[in-house]
Parts: sequence; structure tokens; C-alpha cells
Amino acid sequence: MTMAEVEDSPAIQTVRERYPDALIAVHHAFGDESIVVRREDIIPVLTLLRSDPGLRFDYLVDVTAVDRLYLDEDVRFAVVYHLYSHPHTRRLRVKVPVPEGDGHLPSAAALWPAANWLEREVYDLFGIVFDGHPDLRRILMPDDYGAHPLRKDYPLHGKGERDRFVF
Amino acid sequence: MGLEDQLQESVMTTTVDRLVGWARKNSLWPMPFGTACCAIELMATLASRFDIARFGAEAIRFSPRQSDLMIVSGRVSIKMMPVLKKIYDQMPEPKWVISMGACASSGGIFNTYTMVQGVDQFIPVDVYIPGCPPRPENVIQALMKIQEKVARAKAV
Repeated sequence: MTMAEVEDSPAIQTVRERYPDALIAVHHAFGDESIVVRREDIIPVLTLLRSDPGLRFDYLVDVTAVDRLYLDEDVRFAVVYHLYSHPHTRRLRVKVPVPEGDGHLPSAAALWPAANWLEREVYDLFGIVFDGHPDLRRILMPDDYGAHPLRKDYPLHGKGERDRFVF
Repeated sequence: MGLEDQLQESVMTTTVDRLVGWARKNSLWPMPFGTACCAIELMATLASRFDIARFGAEAIRFSPRQSDLMIVSGRVSIKMMPVLKKIYDQMPEPKWVISMGACASSGGIFNTYTMVQGVDQFIPVDVYIPGCPPRPENVIQALMKIQEKVARAKAV
């Protein structure tokens, strides 16, 4: 049994045309598709996806991250952008590998205002710093919380923060 | 011919403590600190089917300065705890606290880095209600327990 060859959507074709070096991989799964993009090219690619008249991904659904510490991956973190195009009713996931030692990524807040709080959440829980973000503060945890709790090496019960917080 | 015979049943003698306690216990003004699903059960307790007005406690005040009974109904995170403490401190004495449900009493299923494992670590709790969430009958029983305690309290 062979899997039917899935044709890339216009979005992927356009990205491949315009930024051939940026595209690390393309995945198709159950009718959804995602692309993996180099970190240094993420803002040009996102700008293209948002602004190209044939694509118009005008809705940033979510920004989240994956800690792949215990997975077989070279790069520890991956930031994932979920995009939706109202005019073309299409979805796309954009993944960016972010290494542990240098957890920086340019902010997409200038492209979609929604990225402001979403990137704050990723910063809060994973410790990934979004350069150029207008207001990169914690959003869920208390301001003086000293850890990024959604990292896989952080214990579920915390490191005593819940017992000795001060107010 | 004593005075009691003259007055017969038109006068009762009691103590100030008992009189004030009786008045207080039948006019509790709860401050609901509802943060989760327990608050839904609390609302059911307030509404007509269970009708907490039968116990004189229907005057729910979202202003802590007008309340004397705090009902902590729901989970409390370490970010929310300072807020809860501030509201508790704003309530005038005398005041009582009901810790409603598993989360408020012990953290419940939320045994995680961000949850307070029982609000009694930070404020004094008078009555705990078990359950996840407790039924309105449990809340009413807790209120009656509070009433017993209020009636016993020293007023002067």
C-alpha cells in the first residue's frame, strides 16, 4: 500500500518559490499541513503568508511551543504558529526550531496584534524570548515566579513556589 | 408577688451575647469568593430551589466590607491568593470562613506547581465542605454549622 502523493497547497508553493532556503520540511497529516521554517527567516515567511494576496493568512489562531527534551530531536524547542485565512478558508501551521542555549525568536506582534499575549504566554511558560516584543512580561504566572513551568525538566509540583510565595 | 409574675410572658430575660448571636446567625451576609465549578453549586444554593434565604443568608454581598461570611468556592492559585487575603482582610470583624469543596480545602486534584494546597494555610477556616463539587445540601449544612458557631460567639 502506498500513500497517495499529497499536493502542496498554494501557501507552501509560494513559500518554496520565494524563500527556498527557509523551508526545512513540509508535513501533511490528515488533511492538515505544516511547514518547518528556519528561525532567521521566520518574519519574512510570516509576512509573506499574511500579506500575499493569494494567501492572506489574516488570523493568527495560536502561538505555542513544544519542549522536545525527551524526544529524538536535535533542537529542543519548537515554536508553532497556527494560521487561518478567512478569504481562502485555509489553515497552516508554521513550526520554528529554537535551540535551548539561545532561546530567542523575533516577535510577530507587528504582523498580528494577537501575537502580543500569545508570545507572552510562550515566554512565561517556556522561557523563549521574543525579540522586539512591545511588552514581554509574564502573563499567567505571578511576576516574581522564578521558573518556566511548562518545560519538561520542571517538576509538576514545582520547586516549592506554591509553599513559600510571599505577598 | 415577684416581678416575674407581674410581667408573665411579655418579657424574656437573656444575655447580650445570646441576643446578638441570635441576630447575627440569622442574618449572615456571605461574600462569595467563587473561582470555579463550586461557585455554580453555590449559586444553586442561593436560588429558589434550595433557597438559602430560609437561613437569612440571602444577602450576597460582593463587597467585602458589608459581609461577615466568606465562602471560598473553587481553586485558588498562588497568583489569586494575595487577592483572597486582601478581600478577607477588608471584611469587618467578626467574620467566618467556609472552605467549599476539595480544591479550596486541600488543592483537590490540582496538585500542581501553581495551586494553593488549601486556603487554610493563609486564612482561618471555620467549616470545610468536602465534595467535588459539594451539593447544595452540603452548603446548607455548612451554613447551619456556621450558625451554631456564630450563636456561641462572644459579642461583648
